[in-house]
Amino acid sequence: MLRSVSVIGIGETRMGKLTSKSIRMLIKEAGNKAIEDAGIEKERIQALYMGNYNASYWSIQSHIGALASETLEIGHIPTIRTEGACATGSLAFRQGLNAIAAGIYDVVLIGGVEKMTHKPIETITTGLASAADFEYEVNLGSTFPSLFAMIANRYFYEYGDVRKEMAMAAVQNHDNALLNSNAQMHKKITIDQVFNGFPVAHPLTVYDCSLVTDGAAFVVLAATEVAEKIAKKRVVEVIGTGHAGDSLTLAGKKSITTLEATVKAANEAYKMAGITAKDIGFAEVHDCFTITQIINTEDLGFFEKGRGAKALAEGKTALDGQIPINTSGGLKAKGHPIGATGLSQINEVVTQIRGEAGARQIKNANIGLNHNLGGTAATCVVNVFKGR
Amino acid sequence: MNKKATIYTYSIIYTASEDFKDQTPYVIAIVEDKDSRVLSRIEGYEENKEIHIGMEVELFKTDESGNPIYKFIN
Ligand SMILES: CC(C)(COP(=O)(O)OP(=O)(O)OC[C@H]1O[C@@H](n2cnc3c(N)ncnc32)[C@H](O)[C@@H]1OP(=O)(O)O)[C@@H](O)C(=O)NCCC(=O)NCCS
Repeated sequence: MLRSVSVIGIGETRMGKLTSKSIRMLIKEAGNKAIEDAGIEKERIQALYMGNYNASYWSIQSHIGALASETLEIGHIPTIRTEGACATGSLAFRQGLNAIAAGIYDVVLIGGVEKMTHKPIETITTGLASAADFEYEVNLGSTFPSLFAMIANRYFYEYGDVRKEMAMAAVQNHDNALLNSNAQMHKKITIDQVFNGFPVAHPLTVYDCSLVTDGAAFVVLAATEVAEKIAKKRVVEVIGTGHAGDSLTLAGKKSITTLEATVKAANEAYKMAGITAKDIGFAEVHDCFTITQIINTEDLGFFEKGRGAKALAEGKTALDGQIPINTSGGLKAKGHPIGATGLSQINEVVTQIRGEAGARQIKNANIGLNHNLGGTAATCVVNVFKGR
Repeated sequence: MNKKATIYTYSIIYTASEDFKDQTPYVIAIVEDKDSRVLSRIEGYEENKEIHIGMEVELFKTDESGNPIYKFIN
Protein backbone atom coordinates (compact mmCIF):
# COMPACT_ATOMS: atom_id res chain seq x y z
CA MET A 1 0.00 0.00 0.00
CA LEU A 2 1.15 3.52 -0.74
CA ARG A 3 0.25 4.64 2.75
CA SER A 4 -0.64 2.59 5.82
CA VAL A 5 -4.31 2.71 6.87
CA SER A 6 -5.93 1.75 10.20
CA VAL A 7 -9.33 1.27 11.78
CA ILE A 8 -9.98 3.73 14.60
CA GLY A 9 -13.71 3.31 15.15
CA ILE A 10 -16.37 0.61 14.88
CA GLY A 11 -20.08 0.47 15.55
CA GLU A 12 -23.00 -1.75 14.65
CA THR A 13 -26.64 -2.31 15.50
CA ARG A 14 -27.99 -5.47 16.99
CA MET A 15 -28.81 -7.80 14.07
CA GLY A 16 -32.27 -9.25 13.57
CA LYS A 17 -35.85 -8.68 12.64
CA LEU A 18 -35.92 -5.04 13.69
CA THR A 19 -39.49 -4.22 12.76
CA SER A 20 -39.59 -0.81 14.39
CA LYS A 21 -36.33 0.46 12.88
CA SER A 22 -36.14 2.18 9.49
CA ILE A 23 -33.06 2.26 7.26
CA ARG A 24 -32.43 5.78 8.54
CA MET A 25 -32.59 4.69 12.17
CA LEU A 26 -30.20 1.80 11.55
CA ILE A 27 -27.72 4.17 9.89
CA LYS A 28 -28.01 6.70 12.69
CA GLU A 29 -27.44 4.16 15.43
CA ALA A 30 -24.46 2.34 13.92
CA GLY A 31 -22.87 5.42 12.31
CA ASN A 32 -22.90 7.47 15.47
CA LYS A 33 -21.58 4.53 17.49
CA ALA A 34 -18.57 4.24 15.18
CA ILE A 35 -17.86 7.97 15.24
CA GLU A 36 -18.12 8.03 19.05
CA ASP A 37 -15.93 4.94 19.29
CA ALA A 38 -13.26 6.73 17.25
CA GLY A 39 -13.67 9.75 19.52
CA ILE A 40 -13.40 12.21 16.63
CA GLU A 41 -15.33 15.33 15.67
CA LYS A 42 -17.63 14.79 12.69
CA GLU A 43 -15.79 17.60 10.87
CA ARG A 44 -12.80 15.28 10.52
CA ILE A 45 -14.68 12.92 8.19
CA GLN A 46 -13.76 13.71 4.60
CA ALA A 47 -15.82 11.14 2.66
CA LEU A 48 -18.50 8.52 3.20
CA TYR A 49 -18.71 5.15 1.43
CA MET A 50 -22.01 3.31 1.89
CA GLY A 51 -22.66 -0.33 1.09
CA ASN A 52 -26.26 -1.21 0.34
CA TYR A 53 -27.34 -4.16 -1.73
CA ASN A 54 -30.99 -3.79 -2.54
CA ALA A 55 -33.01 -1.07 -0.81
CA SER A 56 -33.85 0.00 -4.37
CA TYR A 57 -36.02 -3.11 -4.60
CA TRP A 58 -37.01 -3.97 -1.02
CA SER A 59 -37.70 -0.38 0.12
CA ILE A 60 -37.76 1.63 -3.15
CA GLN A 61 -34.92 3.70 -1.73
CA SER A 62 -31.75 4.37 -3.70
CA HIS A 63 -29.09 7.05 -3.14
CA ILE A 64 -28.15 5.68 0.27
CA GLY A 65 -24.94 7.74 0.40
CA ALA A 66 -26.83 11.02 0.58
CA LEU A 67 -29.44 9.52 2.90
CA ALA A 68 -26.66 8.50 5.28
CA SER A 69 -24.74 11.78 5.23
CA GLU A 70 -27.93 13.73 5.97
CA THR A 71 -28.95 11.30 8.72
CA LEU A 72 -25.52 11.46 10.35
CA GLU A 73 -25.25 15.24 9.88
CA ILE A 74 -21.85 15.09 8.29
CA GLY A 75 -22.38 17.85 5.80
CA HIS A 76 -21.30 18.31 2.20
CA ILE A 77 -18.69 15.57 1.98
CA PRO A 78 -18.63 13.26 -1.06
CA THR A 79 -20.70 10.08 -0.73
CA ILE A 80 -21.14 7.02 -2.89
CA ARG A 81 -23.04 3.74 -2.65
CA THR A 82 -21.39 0.46 -3.61
CA GLU A 83 -23.11 -2.75 -4.69
CA GLY A 84 -21.52 -6.15 -5.19
CA ALA A 85 -24.12 -8.57 -3.84
CA CYS A 86 -23.18 -9.99 -0.43
CA ALA A 87 -19.67 -8.47 -0.73
CA THR A 88 -21.17 -4.98 -0.91
CA GLY A 89 -19.95 -3.90 2.55
CA SER A 90 -16.36 -4.98 1.97
CA LEU A 91 -16.36 -3.24 -1.41
CA ALA A 92 -17.32 0.03 0.32
CA PHE A 93 -14.51 -0.63 2.79
CA ARG A 94 -12.01 -1.13 -0.06
CA GLN A 95 -13.00 2.16 -1.70
CA GLY A 96 -12.38 4.09 1.52
CA LEU A 97 -9.16 2.21 2.14
CA ASN A 98 -7.85 2.88 -1.36
CA ALA A 99 -8.66 6.59 -1.14
CA ILE A 100 -6.67 6.98 2.08
CA ALA A 101 -3.83 4.81 0.81
CA ALA A 102 -3.65 6.97 -2.31
CA GLY A 103 -3.35 10.08 -0.15
CA ILE A 104 -6.68 11.61 -1.20
CA TYR A 105 -8.15 11.65 2.34
CA ASP A 106 -6.90 11.14 5.91
CA VAL A 107 -10.15 10.10 7.62
CA VAL A 108 -13.23 8.46 6.06
CA LEU A 109 -16.41 6.83 7.28
CA ILE A 110 -17.63 3.55 5.79
CA GLY A 111 -21.03 2.04 6.42
CA GLY A 112 -23.31 -0.74 5.33
CA VAL A 113 -27.03 -1.14 5.84
CA GLU A 114 -29.78 -3.55 4.80
CA LYS A 115 -33.45 -3.80 5.67
CA MET A 116 -34.98 -7.11 4.57
CA THR A 117 -37.36 -8.68 7.05
CA HIS A 118 -40.36 -6.44 6.27
CA LYS A 119 -40.89 -8.32 2.97
CA PRO A 120 -42.45 -11.76 2.38
CA ILE A 121 -39.90 -14.55 1.90
CA GLU A 122 -40.63 -14.88 -1.85
CA THR A 123 -39.81 -11.20 -2.38
CA ILE A 124 -36.65 -11.55 -0.30
CA THR A 125 -35.69 -14.66 -2.29
CA THR A 126 -36.28 -12.83 -5.60
CA GLY A 127 -34.27 -9.81 -4.46
CA LEU A 128 -31.39 -12.05 -3.39
CA ALA A 129 -31.60 -14.06 -6.60
CA SER A 130 -30.96 -10.92 -8.65
CA ALA A 131 -27.32 -11.21 -7.53
CA ALA A 132 -27.11 -14.32 -9.71
CA ASP A 133 -27.51 -14.22 -13.49
CA PHE A 134 -31.13 -13.27 -14.06
CA GLU A 135 -31.38 -14.52 -17.62
CA TYR A 136 -29.45 -17.77 -17.34
CA GLU A 137 -30.03 -18.77 -13.70
CA VAL A 138 -32.98 -17.05 -12.05
CA ASN A 139 -35.25 -17.43 -15.09
CA LEU A 140 -34.75 -21.18 -14.81
CA GLY A 141 -35.94 -21.16 -11.22
CA SER A 142 -32.67 -21.21 -9.31
CA THR A 143 -32.38 -19.45 -5.95
CA PHE A 144 -29.27 -18.61 -3.94
CA PRO A 145 -29.65 -21.54 -1.59
CA SER A 146 -29.99 -23.85 -4.63
CA LEU A 147 -26.80 -22.55 -6.25
CA PHE A 148 -24.84 -23.32 -3.10
CA ALA A 149 -26.73 -26.60 -2.70
CA MET A 150 -25.33 -27.55 -6.12
CA ILE A 151 -21.86 -26.67 -4.86
CA ALA A 152 -22.47 -28.92 -1.83
CA ASN A 153 -23.62 -31.90 -3.90
CA ARG A 154 -20.62 -31.59 -6.20
CA TYR A 155 -18.30 -31.27 -3.17
CA PHE A 156 -19.72 -34.53 -1.75
CA TYR A 157 -19.04 -36.19 -5.10
CA GLU A 158 -15.45 -34.94 -5.33
CA TYR A 159 -14.32 -35.08 -1.68
CA GLY A 160 -16.83 -37.23 0.18
CA ASP A 161 -20.02 -36.60 2.09
CA VAL A 162 -19.56 -33.80 4.65
CA ARG A 163 -23.24 -33.40 5.47
CA LYS A 164 -22.60 -34.01 9.16
CA GLU A 165 -19.72 -31.53 9.35
CA MET A 166 -21.91 -28.93 7.64
CA ALA A 167 -24.42 -29.39 10.44
CA MET A 168 -21.56 -29.05 12.94
CA ALA A 169 -20.65 -25.69 11.38
CA ALA A 170 -24.20 -24.48 12.02
CA VAL A 171 -24.12 -25.77 15.60
CA GLN A 172 -20.76 -24.08 16.25
CA ASN A 173 -21.89 -20.75 14.81
CA HIS A 174 -25.07 -20.83 16.88
CA ASP A 175 -22.94 -21.57 19.97
CA ASN A 176 -20.71 -18.57 19.27
CA ALA A 177 -23.72 -16.33 18.67
CA LEU A 178 -25.00 -17.18 22.14
CA LEU A 179 -22.02 -15.16 23.42
CA ASN A 180 -22.68 -12.19 21.15
CA SER A 181 -25.34 -9.73 22.28
CA ASN A 182 -25.55 -8.26 18.76
CA ALA A 183 -26.41 -11.63 17.19
CA GLN A 184 -29.81 -12.35 15.71
CA MET A 185 -29.94 -15.98 16.90
CA HIS A 186 -29.60 -16.80 20.56
CA LYS A 187 -30.62 -20.38 20.22
CA LYS A 188 -28.61 -23.53 20.80
CA ILE A 189 -29.22 -26.11 18.08
CA THR A 190 -28.24 -29.75 17.58
CA ILE A 191 -26.96 -31.72 14.60
CA ASP A 192 -30.29 -33.58 14.46
CA GLN A 193 -32.19 -30.32 14.28
CA VAL A 194 -30.10 -29.26 11.29
CA PHE A 195 -30.79 -32.57 9.52
CA ASN A 196 -34.50 -32.34 10.25
CA GLY A 197 -35.01 -28.65 9.54
CA PHE A 198 -37.36 -27.89 6.68
CA PRO A 199 -35.67 -28.42 3.32
CA VAL A 200 -34.85 -25.20 1.42
CA ALA A 201 -32.78 -26.61 -1.44
CA HIS A 202 -31.58 -30.18 -1.09
CA PRO A 203 -29.23 -30.97 0.68
CA LEU A 204 -29.58 -27.68 2.57
CA THR A 205 -32.19 -27.28 5.28
CA VAL A 206 -33.16 -24.01 6.89
CA TYR A 207 -30.35 -24.48 9.46
CA ASP A 208 -27.71 -24.59 6.72
CA CYS A 209 -28.75 -21.15 5.50
CA SER A 210 -27.65 -17.74 6.66
CA LEU A 211 -30.32 -15.50 8.09
CA VAL A 212 -32.50 -12.80 6.67
CA THR A 213 -31.50 -9.76 8.70
CA ASP A 214 -31.99 -6.06 9.28
CA GLY A 215 -28.89 -4.24 10.49
CA ALA A 216 -26.14 -1.72 9.93
CA ALA A 217 -22.41 -1.64 10.63
CA PHE A 218 -19.85 1.16 10.33
CA VAL A 219 -16.09 1.64 10.46
CA VAL A 220 -13.93 4.76 10.73
CA LEU A 221 -10.66 4.52 8.81
CA ALA A 222 -7.68 6.84 9.09
CA ALA A 223 -4.18 7.05 7.71
CA THR A 224 -2.10 5.24 10.34
CA GLU A 225 0.10 8.30 10.95
CA VAL A 226 -3.08 10.27 11.75
CA ALA A 227 -4.68 7.36 13.62
CA GLU A 228 -1.80 7.16 16.06
CA LYS A 229 -2.38 10.78 17.04
CA ILE A 230 -6.17 10.77 17.35
CA ALA A 231 -7.32 7.24 18.18
CA LYS A 232 -8.79 6.59 21.62
CA LYS A 233 -8.45 2.82 21.42
CA ARG A 234 -5.92 0.31 20.15
CA VAL A 235 -5.17 1.13 16.52
CA VAL A 236 -5.87 -1.80 14.19
CA GLU A 237 -3.92 -1.63 10.96
CA VAL A 238 -5.13 -3.03 7.64
CA ILE A 239 -1.95 -4.86 6.63
CA GLY A 240 -3.30 -6.52 3.51
CA THR A 241 -6.27 -6.40 1.18
CA GLY A 242 -7.34 -8.35 -1.89
CA HIS A 243 -10.25 -8.25 -4.29
CA ALA A 244 -10.91 -10.74 -7.06
CA GLY A 245 -13.69 -11.91 -9.30
CA ASP A 246 -15.05 -14.91 -11.15
CA SER A 247 -17.87 -15.68 -13.57
CA LEU A 248 -21.31 -14.49 -12.50
CA THR A 249 -22.80 -17.87 -13.35
CA LEU A 250 -22.09 -21.05 -11.45
CA ALA A 251 -21.92 -23.11 -14.65
CA GLY A 252 -19.25 -20.74 -16.02
CA LYS A 253 -16.75 -21.61 -13.28
CA LYS A 254 -13.89 -24.00 -13.97
CA SER A 255 -14.31 -25.58 -10.55
CA ILE A 256 -17.25 -25.11 -8.21
CA THR A 257 -15.62 -26.76 -5.20
CA THR A 258 -12.59 -24.45 -5.12
CA LEU A 259 -13.78 -20.86 -5.28
CA GLU A 260 -11.09 -19.18 -7.35
CA ALA A 261 -12.08 -15.62 -6.34
CA THR A 262 -11.29 -16.49 -2.72
CA VAL A 263 -7.93 -18.04 -3.60
CA LYS A 264 -6.91 -15.00 -5.65
CA ALA A 265 -8.15 -12.34 -3.19
CA ALA A 266 -6.48 -14.15 -0.27
CA ASN A 267 -3.17 -14.50 -2.11
CA GLU A 268 -3.20 -10.81 -2.97
CA ALA A 269 -3.93 -9.86 0.65
CA TYR A 270 -1.32 -12.24 2.12
CA LYS A 271 1.32 -11.02 -0.31
CA MET A 272 0.68 -7.38 0.54
CA ALA A 273 0.85 -8.20 4.25
CA GLY A 274 4.01 -10.23 3.76
CA ILE A 275 2.49 -13.25 5.49
CA THR A 276 1.09 -16.68 4.70
CA ALA A 277 -2.16 -18.33 5.76
CA LYS A 278 -0.30 -19.84 8.74
CA ASP A 279 0.10 -16.40 10.29
CA ILE A 280 -3.65 -15.79 10.47
CA GLY A 281 -4.86 -16.28 14.04
CA PHE A 282 -8.61 -16.17 13.47
CA ALA A 283 -11.11 -15.25 10.76
CA GLU A 284 -14.62 -14.18 9.98
CA VAL A 285 -15.45 -16.07 6.78
CA HIS A 286 -18.48 -15.83 4.52
CA ASP A 287 -20.72 -18.68 5.71
CA CYS A 288 -23.74 -17.85 3.54
CA PHE A 289 -24.38 -21.59 3.72
CA THR A 290 -22.69 -24.22 5.88
CA ILE A 291 -20.88 -25.81 2.92
CA THR A 292 -19.38 -22.42 2.08
CA GLN A 293 -17.77 -22.14 5.51
CA ILE A 294 -15.98 -25.46 4.97
CA ILE A 295 -14.84 -24.56 1.45
CA ASN A 296 -13.69 -21.09 2.55
CA THR A 297 -11.39 -22.46 5.24
CA GLU A 298 -9.71 -24.52 2.53
CA ASP A 299 -9.54 -21.82 -0.12
CA LEU A 300 -8.10 -19.33 2.40
CA GLY A 301 -5.28 -21.83 2.97
CA PHE A 302 -6.10 -22.74 6.60
CA PHE A 303 -6.62 -26.40 5.73
CA GLU A 304 -5.76 -28.60 2.75
CA LYS A 305 -8.40 -29.04 0.05
CA GLY A 306 -10.88 -31.68 1.15
CA ARG A 307 -9.83 -31.42 4.81
CA GLY A 308 -11.90 -28.45 5.98
CA ALA A 309 -14.74 -30.59 7.28
CA LYS A 310 -12.44 -32.86 9.25
CA ALA A 311 -10.69 -29.87 10.82
CA LEU A 312 -14.02 -28.46 11.88
CA ALA A 313 -15.12 -31.78 13.39
CA GLU A 314 -11.83 -31.92 15.33
CA GLY A 315 -12.61 -28.56 16.93
CA LYS A 316 -9.84 -26.68 15.15
CA THR A 317 -12.18 -23.82 14.24
CA ALA A 318 -13.90 -23.52 17.64
CA LEU A 319 -13.36 -20.56 19.97
CA ASP A 320 -10.54 -22.42 21.72
CA GLY A 321 -9.26 -24.09 18.56
CA GLN A 322 -6.17 -23.59 16.45
CA ILE A 323 -7.87 -21.02 14.21
CA PRO A 324 -11.23 -19.82 15.53
CA ILE A 325 -13.70 -19.19 12.68
CA ASN A 326 -16.72 -16.90 12.92
CA THR A 327 -16.38 -16.06 16.59
CA SER A 328 -19.27 -13.61 16.09
CA GLY A 329 -21.68 -16.39 15.08
CA GLY A 330 -21.17 -15.65 11.39
CA LEU A 331 -23.81 -15.02 8.77
CA LYS A 332 -25.50 -18.17 10.02
CA ALA A 333 -26.27 -16.99 13.52
CA LYS A 334 -25.10 -13.41 13.98
CA GLY A 335 -27.01 -12.56 10.81
CA HIS A 336 -26.59 -11.53 7.18
CA PRO A 337 -27.81 -7.97 6.53
CA ILE A 338 -26.36 -8.17 2.99
CA GLY A 339 -24.87 -4.67 2.50
CA ALA A 340 -23.68 -4.48 6.11
CA THR A 341 -22.24 -7.99 6.40
CA GLY A 342 -18.63 -7.27 5.41
CA LEU A 343 -18.46 -4.33 7.80
CA SER A 344 -20.02 -6.35 10.57
CA GLN A 345 -17.29 -8.97 10.03
CA ILE A 346 -14.71 -6.19 10.34
CA ASN A 347 -16.41 -4.99 13.55
CA GLU A 348 -15.84 -8.47 14.98
CA VAL A 349 -12.21 -8.75 13.87
CA VAL A 350 -11.40 -5.35 15.40
CA THR A 351 -13.32 -6.18 18.59
CA GLN A 352 -11.27 -9.37 18.99
CA ILE A 353 -7.95 -7.62 18.30
CA ARG A 354 -8.80 -4.92 20.84
CA GLY A 355 -9.59 -7.63 23.40
CA GLU A 356 -13.15 -6.35 23.83
CA ALA A 357 -15.05 -9.52 22.84
CA GLY A 358 -16.09 -10.46 26.39
CA ALA A 359 -17.26 -14.05 26.81
CA ARG A 360 -16.26 -14.97 23.25
CA GLN A 361 -12.80 -13.34 23.45
CA ILE A 362 -10.17 -15.62 21.95
CA LYS A 363 -6.54 -15.83 23.05
CA ASN A 364 -3.81 -14.20 20.99
CA ALA A 365 -6.10 -12.26 18.70
CA ASN A 366 -3.44 -10.25 16.93
CA ILE A 367 -3.77 -11.01 13.22
CA GLY A 368 -7.23 -11.73 11.83
CA LEU A 369 -9.04 -11.50 8.53
CA ASN A 370 -12.47 -10.96 7.08
CA HIS A 371 -13.54 -12.85 3.96
CA ASN A 372 -16.62 -11.63 2.13
CA LEU A 373 -18.14 -13.28 -0.96
CA GLY A 374 -20.59 -11.74 -3.40
CA GLY A 375 -23.09 -13.76 -5.39
CA THR A 376 -22.09 -17.28 -6.31
CA ALA A 377 -18.49 -16.42 -5.40
CA ALA A 378 -18.36 -14.00 -8.33
CA THR A 379 -16.81 -11.30 -6.14
CA CYS A 380 -14.49 -11.75 -3.19
CA VAL A 381 -12.80 -9.36 -0.80
CA VAL A 382 -10.27 -10.37 1.87
CA ASN A 383 -8.80 -7.89 4.38
CA VAL A 384 -6.09 -8.71 6.91
CA PHE A 385 -5.91 -6.78 10.19
CA LYS A 386 -3.19 -6.49 12.83
CA GLY A 387 -3.13 -4.76 16.20
CA ARG A 388 -0.49 -2.07 16.64
CA MET B 1 -26.62 -29.97 -29.11
CA ASN B 2 -26.84 -33.65 -28.29
CA LYS B 3 -30.18 -34.77 -27.04
CA LYS B 4 -28.61 -36.39 -23.99
CA ALA B 5 -26.39 -34.94 -21.27
CA THR B 6 -25.26 -35.95 -17.78
CA ILE B 7 -25.86 -34.29 -14.44
CA TYR B 8 -22.73 -32.50 -13.18
CA THR B 9 -24.51 -31.35 -10.02
CA TYR B 10 -28.09 -30.68 -8.92
CA SER B 11 -30.45 -29.47 -6.23
CA ILE B 12 -34.11 -29.93 -5.40
CA ILE B 13 -35.77 -26.61 -4.64
CA TYR B 14 -38.40 -26.28 -1.90
CA THR B 15 -38.28 -22.51 -1.20
CA ALA B 16 -38.62 -20.67 -4.51
CA SER B 17 -38.82 -17.14 -5.82
CA GLU B 18 -42.13 -15.43 -6.62
CA ASP B 19 -42.30 -16.81 -10.16
CA PHE B 20 -41.65 -20.42 -9.20
CA LYS B 21 -43.27 -20.84 -5.81
CA ASP B 22 -46.18 -22.84 -7.27
CA GLN B 23 -43.87 -25.42 -8.84
CA THR B 24 -41.97 -26.71 -5.78
CA PRO B 25 -40.38 -29.14 -5.38
CA TYR B 26 -38.49 -29.01 -8.65
CA VAL B 27 -34.97 -29.86 -9.79
CA ILE B 28 -32.29 -27.67 -11.26
CA ALA B 29 -28.96 -29.00 -12.39
CA ILE B 30 -25.79 -28.17 -14.22
CA VAL B 31 -25.66 -30.62 -17.10
CA GLU B 32 -22.54 -31.61 -18.92
CA ASP B 33 -22.45 -32.31 -22.61
CA LYS B 34 -18.94 -33.19 -23.76
CA ASP B 35 -16.91 -30.24 -22.44
CA SER B 36 -19.68 -27.71 -22.06
CA ARG B 37 -21.68 -27.14 -18.90
CA VAL B 38 -24.98 -25.30 -18.68
CA LEU B 39 -27.59 -24.74 -16.05
CA SER B 40 -30.90 -26.39 -16.72
CA ARG B 41 -34.16 -27.31 -15.06
CA ILE B 42 -34.95 -31.02 -15.12
CA GLU B 43 -38.62 -31.74 -15.61
CA GLY B 44 -40.42 -34.78 -14.29
CA TYR B 45 -39.28 -34.84 -10.67
CA GLU B 46 -41.44 -36.69 -8.19
CA GLU B 47 -40.83 -36.75 -4.43
CA ASN B 48 -38.22 -39.36 -3.41
CA LYS B 49 -36.97 -39.96 -6.95
CA GLU B 50 -33.33 -40.98 -6.85
CA ILE B 51 -31.00 -38.46 -8.53
CA HIS B 52 -27.24 -38.72 -8.78
CA ILE B 53 -24.29 -36.99 -10.40
CA GLY B 54 -23.45 -38.65 -13.69
CA MET B 55 -27.07 -39.56 -14.37
CA GLU B 56 -28.27 -39.17 -17.97
CA VAL B 57 -31.04 -36.72 -18.80
CA GLU B 58 -32.67 -35.88 -22.10
CA LEU B 59 -33.25 -32.52 -23.79
CA PHE B 60 -36.91 -31.60 -23.60
CA LYS B 61 -37.19 -27.99 -24.85
CA THR B 62 -35.65 -24.53 -24.74
CA ASP B 63 -37.14 -21.62 -22.78
CA GLU B 64 -37.57 -17.99 -23.96
CA SER B 65 -34.04 -17.04 -22.79
CA GLY B 66 -32.61 -19.93 -24.79
CA ASN B 67 -32.01 -21.99 -21.66
CA PRO B 68 -32.22 -25.74 -22.18
CA ILE B 69 -34.82 -27.65 -20.17
CA TYR B 70 -34.04 -31.33 -19.74
CA LYS B 71 -36.18 -34.17 -18.45
CA PHE B 72 -35.53 -37.36 -16.54
CA ILE B 73 -35.36 -40.56 -18.58
CA ASN B 74 -37.70 -43.12 -17.10
C1 LIG C 1 -34.02 -20.28 4.83
C2 LIG C 1 -35.05 -19.18 4.67
C3 LIG C 1 -35.74 -19.32 3.32
C4 LIG C 1 -36.09 -19.28 5.80
O1 LIG C 1 -36.97 -18.19 5.73
P1 LIG C 1 -38.52 -18.35 6.13
O2 LIG C 1 -39.06 -19.56 5.46
O3 LIG C 1 -39.16 -17.05 5.86
O4 LIG C 1 -38.45 -18.60 7.68
P2 LIG C 1 -39.32 -17.85 8.78
O5 LIG C 1 -38.88 -16.43 8.86
O6 LIG C 1 -40.78 -18.13 8.51
O7 LIG C 1 -38.87 -18.58 10.10
C5 LIG C 1 -39.41 -19.77 10.60
C6 LIG C 1 -38.59 -20.19 11.79
O8 LIG C 1 -37.27 -20.60 11.36
C7 LIG C 1 -36.28 -19.77 11.93
N1 LIG C 1 -35.31 -19.52 10.87
C8 LIG C 1 -35.54 -18.85 9.70
N2 LIG C 1 -34.43 -18.84 8.96
C9 LIG C 1 -33.49 -19.50 9.67
C10 LIG C 1 -32.16 -19.82 9.42
N3 LIG C 1 -31.57 -19.44 8.28
N4 LIG C 1 -31.47 -20.51 10.37
C11 LIG C 1 -32.06 -20.88 11.51
N5 LIG C 1 -33.35 -20.62 11.80
C12 LIG C 1 -34.05 -19.94 10.88
C13 LIG C 1 -36.98 -18.53 12.38
O9 LIG C 1 -36.32 -17.92 13.46
C14 LIG C 1 -38.33 -19.07 12.79
O10 LIG C 1 -38.21 -19.66 14.06
P3 LIG C 1 -39.35 -19.48 15.17
O11 LIG C 1 -40.56 -20.17 14.57
O12 LIG C 1 -38.78 -20.15 16.35
O13 LIG C 1 -39.53 -18.01 15.30
C15 LIG C 1 -34.34 -17.82 4.77
O14 LIG C 1 -33.72 -17.73 6.03
C16 LIG C 1 -33.35 -17.60 3.68
O15 LIG C 1 -33.70 -17.33 2.53
N6 LIG C 1 -32.03 -17.69 3.99
C17 LIG C 1 -31.01 -17.55 3.01
C18 LIG C 1 -30.64 -16.12 2.82
C19 LIG C 1 -29.74 -15.97 1.62
O16 LIG C 1 -29.86 -16.66 0.63
N7 LIG C 1 -28.83 -15.01 1.69
C20 LIG C 1 -27.93 -14.73 0.62
C21 LIG C 1 -26.82 -15.69 0.68
S1 LIG C 1 -25.72 -15.53 -0.71
